[in-house]
Amino acid sequence: MPDFGDHVDNGIFSQILEMDESDHDRDFSEPLVTNFFEQAEDTFEKMDRALAARDLNELSTLGHFLKGSSATLGFNKIRDSCQVVQQYGHKLTVDGVSEPDENICLKKIAEALQTAKVDTAELEKQMKRFFGTE
Amino acid sequence: MLEDPSYNSVVRWSPDGDSFVVLEKFTKTILPKHFKHSNFASFVRQLNKYDFHKVRHNEESGEAPYGRDAWEFKHPEFRADRKDQLDNIRRKAPAPRKPPPTEDAFPASQQIVVLSESLNATNVQIQTLQEQYLELDRTNRLLVAEVLSLQKMLRAQSQASNELISHLNNMEDRRRNSRHSAQSSHSSHSGTNYHQGTLGLLPDGTDEPAPELRRARDILNGVSPDSQADRELERLSMAYHQNGSPAESAGSSVMYTHAGPQATLNVVHDPFSDPRHLVYPVGQTQGIDPFHADHIHNIPYSRPLSNPNVMTETPSQITPPPGKDQGGSLWRGKKPQILLVEDDKTCARIGSKFLTNMDCSVETARDGLEAVEKINTDADRFDLIFMDIIMPNLDGVSATAMIRMVSPQIPIIAMTSNIRQEDIQTYFQFGMNDVLAKPFTRDGMVRILKKHLTRMLKDPQSAGVLNDPNDPTSAAATAGGQQTAGGPGPPTGGYANATMAAAMQAAVNQAAQAQVKYEQTPIPSPSTTASWHSPGTTMQQVQQQQQHASPQLDQGGYMNAVGSGQGVGGMVLTPGGSQRGPGPGPGQQYAGYMQAGPGPVPRLPEMGGMGGADDRPEKRQRLYGPSQGGYVG
Repeated sequence: MPDFGDHVDNGIFSQILEMDESDHDRDFSEPLVTNFFEQAEDTFEKMDRALAARDLNELSTLGHFLKGSSATLGFNKIRDSCQVVQQYGHKLTVDGVSEPDENICLKKIAEALQTAKVDTAELEKQMKRFFGTE
Repeated sequence: MLEDPSYNSVVRWSPDGDSFVVLEKFTKTILPKHFKHSNFASFVRQLNKYDFHKVRHNEESGEAPYGRDAWEFKHPEFRADRKDQLDNIRRKAPAPRKPPPTEDAFPASQQIVVLSESLNATNVQIQTLQEQYLELDRTNRLLVAEVLSLQKMLRAQSQASNELISHLNNMEDRRRNSRHSAQSSHSSHSGTNYHQGTLGLLPDGTDEPAPELRRARDILNGVSPDSQADRELERLSMAYHQNGSPAESAGSSVMYTHAGPQATLNVVHDPFSDPRHLVYPVGQTQGIDPFHADHIHNIPYSRPLSNPNVMTETPSQITPPPGKDQGGSLWRGKKPQILLVEDDKTCARIGSKFLTNMDCSVETARDGLEAVEKINTDADRFDLIFMDIIMPNLDGVSATAMIRMVSPQIPIIAMTSNIRQEDIQTYFQFGMNDVLAKPFTRDGMVRILKKHLTRMLKDPQSAGVLNDPNDPTSAAATAGGQQTAGGPGPPTGGYANATMAAAMQAAVNQAAQAQVKYEQTPIPSPSTTASWHSPGTTMQQVQQQQQHASPQLDQGGYMNAVGSGQGVGGMVLTPGGSQRGPGPGPGQQYAGYMQAGPGPVPRLPEMGGMGGADDRPEKRQRLYGPSQGGYVG
């Protein structure tokens, strides 16, 4: 189990790796992770569009969606960014305090989205290295 | 014609115009051509019928005015100058002297004959149809029984395959470990009559079995007969059997062998005496599980538990997968059927994988709508539902509310990252039984399964069951014990109980005060499983505090939580004494609850080795064995 740093929750991710046949046969985890990155890319595109359209509801939904899968895989950094997107999509701070200013919400979401994209790209690189699919 | 002078030689009016004269020429030439009787008497009779009467001429008054053989006819209305009266000349009504009865008698009796004949024909037809129907019915029963037998055979085969795989696993492990070579003699037992004695000698579960074997098992797991048609078939068969043998109470294989003849008592050819159906007993010895969930689910939920000792009679003892996976040995009979409702593909795949890995059959639904449809199609199909909350089309809470209308009992577990207390409360209010925090972990799922499917566990003790096994709510009953083990949610059954909800609410409120709100921390950090379970622990602690503050309320909540009893609602507010459950008294029970709590989770890691470590036969044979008698309740 390599160290993915603070990108990945090792406890959660190793559970998924344990579902593989063996350490040399990652039939389960590898496609799962690959799919996740496809899903993430797709979601980021949708988020970009929703951001341009100032559609906070859609952003919140998308944030929630990607948060679920990233959290399930233990991809904490991505999950955290998604949480920010989801919360500000609801016009809430991450602490659940109301944030009525849509511009602030959109700005926070844009930042979080940018962070998520960077983190995702970085993690994808690491994962490809790990799975040997580079 | 009468008026035409050219016919005067044939027929003509009398000079008075009140009668007409038929002359000799008519009788000789016209009559044979136009009247079939060709005789004058017949012609006269016809005229008589129209009320024409011959005008008699007195012979004595001289010779006939119109010559010989001339006939004069007269009708009161038939006059040369009164054509308008022609309409009054009609054929006379039948002579009244003919008695009507005799005239109608013949057609009436004929009618009766015809009717009775057609009735007979109809009867014959109906009889034929009945015979055909019976024949079809018999054939149908035969086919249903046949299909069921085949299914059972198939299950037996797949179980046998499982055993073989297990055996091969054992062999491989043994070979790998270069020990227990003497056990190889067991290979000759061909999977049906395994003796579990080998188990104690098996290597512990740390060795990974060959991937081929795993895959083979996965394939077997993947083809579990859970299609809709199967259920319908089962139901059909049950209906047949129930028709014939309502008194047959036991949900056992006996039912299948005896019910048939009773159901078809009046049928000459009893399809169930067909030798082909002796297939069944054969299958039975091969490890067919009469308490297969398909049958079990046809039994009312509240049926009392039959004697668990029954299972010691089974001839079939099957080797569990030797510690391959933890889950492989979790269940004593039929694999639990789990419905995983999750819109996110990644989560669904991981969840399915975890569950499959725990030896459960998993079906997924992409949203609440699909889940409701699946449940509506067959309410008894699933043993447990994992339900995402936020989903397109129909959210998990609404879906749960709808499912509750059809299936009040099935455990529904909310899977969500929204584990704020007020959210959790909502879930429970809408009929959910528990909460699995997202991101879910394998251990979290194991915990839920053990808690809510206690009745299906191979070893119920492992779930920390404190309660009477006869209690049909035993699955729910473990809630109390398990809650300490990390469940953030209140116990099963609480949704139905207002008092419980109140207790929960109180507890939850306190928890909210006493504890950091979960989602207030920027993002809960589930770096370990334990951290996600912390709310449960907190709640338990809070409940403990609460008991001091308001023992009665808490007692109610607690009692319900443990499900020690006789129905969810009845005894909630009685702080002590009235419960007939196994629990000694509230205080002691509470102590037990405290003790039992930590049990399951620490034990979890041991699960893998359990099958191998536990060599008590009554435990082992529940793994795949056909005789899941204990489960019936």
